[in-house]
Order: sequence, then C-alpha cells, then structure tokens
Amino acid sequence: MAHIHLGEGSFPLWALILWTLVGAGLISAVVYRVRKGGIKTNQIALAGIGAAASFAIFQLNIPVWGGIHMNLTGLVGILAGPLLGALIALVVNIFSAALGHGAVGLLGANTLVNASEAIVAYYAFKTLMGMDWDVFPAGASAATVGLSAGAFLMGAIIVISGVNGSALPRGDLTIAVAGLVGLNLGVAVIEGLLTGFIVQFLASVRPDLVGLTDRDGHEEPSEVTA
Amino acid sequence: MQRWKQYGGLAALFAAFLAAGYWGFIATGGAVPWAKRSAQALQRGVQEGSGALVDFGRGVVVAGPIRKGGLLIEFGGLVVLLVVIGIGLYVYVDRYGGFEDDDRSARYP
Repeated sequence: MAHIHLGEGSFPLWALILWTLVGAGLISAVVYRVRKGGIKTNQIALAGIGAAASFAIFQLNIPVWGGIHMNLTGLVGILAGPLLGALIALVVNIFSAALGHGAVGLLGANTLVNASEAIVAYYAFKTLMGMDWDVFPAGASAATVGLSAGAFLMGAIIVISGVNGSALPRGDLTIAVAGLVGLNLGVAVIEGLLTGFIVQFLASVRPDLVGLTDRDGHEEPSEVTA
Repeated sequence: MQRWKQYGGLAALFAAFLAAGYWGFIATGGAVPWAKRSAQALQRGVQEGSGALVDFGRGVVVAGPIRKGGLLIEFGGLVVLLVVIGIGLYVYVDRYGGFEDDDRSARYP
C-alpha cells in the first residue's frame, strides 16, 4: 500500500526532477522491452482488469490501522507480469493524481514505488513456485515481500529528498519515515493474505492465468480447492 | 519443499511485519488516517498515539481528496470504464484467441 501522499511542492525541485527522470527511465525501459519482446494478448486483458481493480481499491479507505488503502500491485505483478505491472502502476497513479489522490509532481516517485511492488512480487512468486512452494504461501509471501520493497523504496525516496517546510533534522525525519514504513509492513500482511487467497483461487479455476499451465489447456479447469 | 517450512516461513514473515506495523502504528500517531498520519509524522516527527487497530464503525470510504472534492461520479466513471475495457479485452481474447491469429502475441513493428 506504499504511496507518497504528500502535496504538491513537498519535495525540493531537484528531487522532483530526479524521481521524474528515474520514473520516466523505468517506463521507457518497460515500453522498449514490450515493443521488442511483445506480450501475450491475454496478459493485456488481464492488465486491463488489474488496472481497474487496483485503481478502485486505491481509492477506498479501509478502517484498519487507523485508515489505509490497498494497492493490489502485488497481485497485478503476479497476474500481468513485471512489464505490464509497471505500466499499470503508472496508469493508476495518473488517474489517482487526476482525482487529487497523490500529487501530480510525485507521479515519477509514486510510479517507481508501485512498479517496484509489482516487479518484486512477480519475481518472488516465480522464484517460490520454482522452489516447489504451494500456491497460497507463494502468492502471499511474494505479495508481502513485493509490498515491503515498495514501502522501503518509499521511505528511501522521502529521506533522500527531504520534505519542504519540515523542520525535522534528517535523523528525526528518518525515524518518522521508519514509522511509516513499519506501518506499511503491517498493512502488507493484510494485502499479502488477500493476494494469496485470490491467487490460490485463480490457480484452482484457471491455472493458466497465474502461469502454472499453458493457456491452451484452460478448457478443463480443476475444482475449486481454496 | 516441505509444507511446514513454507507456512512456517510465511508465519515468521507475517509475525515480523505485524510487529513492525504495530510499532509504526503507535509511533506515528495511532488511529489516524494515512494522509494525516503521513503529513503529521513528516512535519513534526514521531508522536506516539493510540486507538483501535480496527474500527469497522467508520466503514470503507472513498479517499478524502475525491470525497471532499466532489469527484465521486468521476471516480465511479473511471472505475466502470476500466472494468468495461478490461472485461471487454478479456472476453475478446478468450473468444478469439488474441489480436493476431497465428501466435496470440501482440507484437509491434
């Protein structure tokens, strides 16, 4: 659920430019990879649904841990892959910023944060499945680890940038940011559990959606065992 | 891998993260919404607070900037648009096997 909620002008100009450039670099690399390697069309469809789900849940404040929102970026990464996952992070952040949820100037930083969640979750899931893990613990662990990566990156971005108008010395700011990152780790558990159940369900009815079988074999789904 | 090791690892990960989450919850003001918590912590540093970890009485609400800005219809419209596009793509791909007939792969020139 990592997401930088600071308003416009919260970061110094150099930081704004830096994170925008890094974010644009990541998206450029992703687009280059997509153009060069191609993507399966069923992944595009999944990406559309993933973007809708992620955007919708992004805007819902859930009364847990004081009031948080989830991202579903871990799930998006596992289902759509790291490339489309990064693009979905960009799309969701643009729409969110357009509605006032997240600053437009922080689009680069927030895209980096959410894209890292999707990318890390995807590779963690693949690695765990390669180690012969069951789907639920693999999905839940991968999403939790992915979200924690986003939380740490969010903290690093804030600490490196500094916050305009904050009188806190860098050391105190780091402690404050550590508290926010810690809270994010707790929320990652909730989202990780949710992701684990969803991936487990999808693996039961349509294993091709989570890359467990070839797509052509989906006509004979197994029974729901979740 | 043995199942107890998988679930043991998952339980350990969850325990560590929940402990970190609880510390973060207390250290950054307790039961306050994220945006307020974030702004408060970054402007004034860590300030301990308390309150319920779960408060179902408040229900699930749309994020403040959208709700207070009167953008609920736009939000709903965007969600519906994305859902329709996503499901439309999914149905198309599922029915016709993709945008190209041969390898089901969207390649660009």
